[in-house]
Amino acid sequence: MRVDVRSVRRRATLLSRWYPREWRRCYGDEFLELLVDDLQERPHSLSRSLDVARNGLLARVAVAGLGGRSLHPDKDGRRSLAAFVCAAALFVTVALAIWAQLTIGWQWSAPDTVATTAAMFIMTVAVAALGAACVACAVPVACLAVRNLAKRRSMETVRPLTLVVIGLTALILGTHHFANGWPGTGGHPWAHQGIVPGGVAAYAWASTLFLSSYWLHPAALTNFPAVEVAWMFACPLALASVIVGVAKLVRRLEFSNRILRFERAMGVIGASAMALFLIGSALWIFDGGPGPRDLFHIGAIDVMELVVLVASLALAGRAVECTRDAARVFVPR
Amino acid sequence: MARPKRTEETSKATTSFSGFGRYAGPATLILASLAEGPKHGYALTKDIERFADVRLAPGTLYEALSRLEGQGLIESIESADRRRPYRLTAVGAEALRTHLAAQRKVADLGLRRLAGTWGAP
Repeated sequence: MRVDVRSVRRRATLLSRWYPREWRRCYGDEFLELLVDDLQERPHSLSRSLDVARNGLLARVAVAGLGGRSLHPDKDGRRSLAAFVCAAALFVTVALAIWAQLTIGWQWSAPDTVATTAAMFIMTVAVAALGAACVACAVPVACLAVRNLAKRRSMETVRPLTLVVIGLTALILGTHHFANGWPGTGGHPWAHQGIVPGGVAAYAWASTLFLSSYWLHPAALTNFPAVEVAWMFACPLALASVIVGVAKLVRRLEFSNRILRFERAMGVIGASAMALFLIGSALWIFDGGPGPRDLFHIGAIDVMELVVLVASLALAGRAVECTRDAARVFVPR
Repeated sequence: MARPKRTEETSKATTSFSGFGRYAGPATLILASLAEGPKHGYALTKDIERFADVRLAPGTLYEALSRLEGQGLIESIESADRRRPYRLTAVGAEALRTHLAAQRKVADLGLRRLAGTWGAP
């Protein structure tokens, strides 16, 4: 049978893309040759494609710091920490969106069931604990990044730091503008009558404005002020910029064993706070009934957000577990 | 990029292939094939298919190769060709000898018991 060598090589290259770049840098050339030989001998083999996809994805999971055999065990701790940062950031974003909307709702009228009231207290405590854990996690990373920048001025640190600074600046400016610009987030005379700080909720609401069911109602969205719609597009980009920047920083900085242990401990506290928040939000969702004037009404978006919370908590938990495993084999500098 | 380094677990792995999980079988086949001499990926696949009647898929083969290299049981040889050959190290040879001897003990015992209970084939 005549085999088109160029097409076989193209197929082999495509198949090898299941593997991460780091793995391909190490084994890519020889693996490609093996695939070319195998494709020439067996042009159509589903089991081969599935085998390559499976092992490639497992290699990607390992490079992401979420477990499995790593080519560079010395980098595993930082990678797991970066994976935790991403998962926790996703959780915090969605959690803040839920908490802010409910808290703002409470400023207009209190929840009418004990379960929802309890859920609000639990979520508020969890948000406070999460915030404290995030700050505690960020301080050593920020100090290390600044020290690294002052010493070496390497682009490896400058680029992610630039991403973080740009994202944070956009978030602070936009959030400040919108948090003070809507009556429901603090400007209303009824604000601050609740037991939770309306100002914090207003900032949380403004920074997660894009998590909205209005995307499914474009007609309603067109009635919004253009600048608000623009912010709904801009704030996820700003958030992504901060998260990607921090994750890249964490992957590139060299942590001492002590800092790695501290970050892991904060990760455990953070994951526990996430679990607490999940309990609170699940309590609110399963309580089910709409509150007065539907302010605590549960929509499809809330159920979807709950699913995202569960998935991101599972990822964060896995990452913390992998950080512990990496700390066991970490050789202190 | 630098090849993966040998880990602290090498000595343990030499006797039990600990941590290989589902790749322990492919690892044994690869070591047995390399006992004859250095081979690259495709040559390993064909040789294993010939003597064990098992076709190792490329992903499984390279995961096992990478683990064996990480444990220091095999090493790659510099080559002008893009097909990089691998060879058994002294540690790998010892690990294979120990592993096969343990397997032979189990096989001998099983065959003896079969013969005692079920008679000769």
